Amino acid sequence: MDFLWSYIALAEIYVLLGLSTNLLVGIAGIFSVSQAAVFGVGAYIVAYFLMHEVMGFLPARLIAASCCVALNVLVTLPSLRVSGDYFVVTSFGIQLLATAIFVNWTAGTGGANGLPGIPPPDLFGFPIESNAQLVLLCSAGSGLGCLAFWLIMRAPFGRLLRAIREDELAVAAAGKGVLRAKVSAAALAGAFAGSAGGLYATFLSFVDPSSFDLDASILLLTMVVVGGARTLPGSILGPFLLLALPQALALIDIPTSIAASARQLIYGVLLIVFMLFRPQGLAGEKL
Amino acid sequence: MTAPYLQASAIEVSFGGLRALQDCSFTIAQGRITCLVGPNGAGKTTIFNAITGFLKPDSGSVTFKGRALDGLKPQDIVALGIARTFQNLRLFQDLTALDNVLVGLPDMAGEEPIGAIFRPFHAARALAGRRTEARAILEHVGLAHRANEFVRNLSYGEQKLLTVARVLATGAELILLDEPASGLSAGALDAVMALLRRMQAEGKTLLVVEHNTRVVQKIADDVLFLHQGHLMAQGTPEQIISDPALAEIYFGGAI
Repeated sequence: MDFLWSYIALAEIYVLLGLSTNLLVGIAGIFSVSQAAVFGVGAYIVAYFLMHEVMGFLPARLIAASCCVALNVLVTLPSLRVSGDYFVVTSFGIQLLATAIFVNWTAGTGGANGLPGIPPPDLFGFPIESNAQLVLLCSAGSGLGCLAFWLIMRAPFGRLLRAIREDELAVAAAGKGVLRAKVSAAALAGAFAGSAGGLYATFLSFVDPSSFDLDASILLLTMVVVGGARTLPGSILGPFLLLALPQALALIDIPTSIAASARQLIYGVLLIVFMLFRPQGLAGEKL
Repeated sequence: MTAPYLQASAIEVSFGGLRALQDCSFTIAQGRITCLVGPNGAGKTTIFNAITGFLKPDSGSVTFKGRALDGLKPQDIVALGIARTFQNLRLFQDLTALDNVLVGLPDMAGEEPIGAIFRPFHAARALAGRRTEARAILEHVGLAHRANEFVRNLSYGEQKLLTVARVLATGAELILLDEPASGLSAGALDAVMALLRRMQAEGKTLLVVEHNTRVVQKIADDVLFLHQGHLMAQGTPEQIISDPALAEIYFGGAI
């Protein structure tokens, strides 16, 4: 039973990340491969505040989300200067840079060993310790995220972002500021990724750089591609399906040494197969 | 004396070694339909780009009702009241006809994330009103029955009308249309010409790139003739079309 609860909670955290990636990549067309880095910054910030008992979970998560808003705006600003292909390279560099910092800044991040013993989250001073409570917390977090995403998609802001993804010049000719809308989308994606990071750190009570590396960024993209771009059901389906995969692999009796690479292999194959044969994903639109 | 409605002064634009516009000066009078004609590569679309802020001229300036447009972004120029269409339409294919028009409407509530998330009911109420507005614009260009159709399902003629609807939605008073009549069937052509006349009657000023001399004769009050980046002549359609030197340039020989 614990196994199922932790799967659900983790998948819900990744739903927030899927929403973040979908907003940025699927809707606004800013093809970022550094979303895991932003996720990581959120996780480390919350871990730091809770371990040093500076403040409670909610304010820590709020600060983490705010920092990630600022960070994501900075990270995506180049996309407003350079066009699509170049931006992928830029964000690839940012992801590598972030990983290097996570691994080498031992004083702040614990380096490659990570930060163990992060205290459980609390709500207004009440600790959240049981699995059921944690799942509820994650459900509330991802539920709010889904609500925000849904509201945006049906609001004029969602339409503007779709229009920008199709044709920035035409949006400018229609009298709308492209830059401001893209920065707003990046900020929102940052808030989602940062608060997901906070949940993740307290849920696992341990963070290390391997959760926030390039593979993780590509996993997020795979979730959006498999689930489906630009829809709420797609952003929910993708994480639940792809996170079920390692659990399914654990049931098959293969050595742990090849399990990790088998997983990466399957993610890669899924990405290619979906791009070729079902670009709209299971429940979405073409990326 | 008041400033000219739109005035372009000594505009120069080069792309590498190619001088697309050289010492290009002209004025456009309010409330009139001015046609911009000339052979391919004459610089007609470049003039559009220079006026609407999509291209920064190397030198020269454009003023609109006495206000210089230099250095303004396209969306600022739209806010001042000048909007344009594109020769290759540039519609949002994955949006409906109605949504294409809605993108053009200014001052939309809920078009930024804070309003969209924290004031959803306000945004939804405002949107209902804007939809009515957008439908009225579609009605005006004759596309009301196609409002909820995706652009990719519209005929070419309908797509052209939709670009006009989107530019009308911005509320601009000076509208630049890049070949609104090209590639249309005879019936659609008449509909577009009638629409341009209606827009003029409603107080819009139009600058139109057009190749079809019959269309020019029918709709133009003034004609600007452009050749190799120079403004060769400015006059009434009759003056321009009866000038043998211009016909020689335009048709490559006597007609």
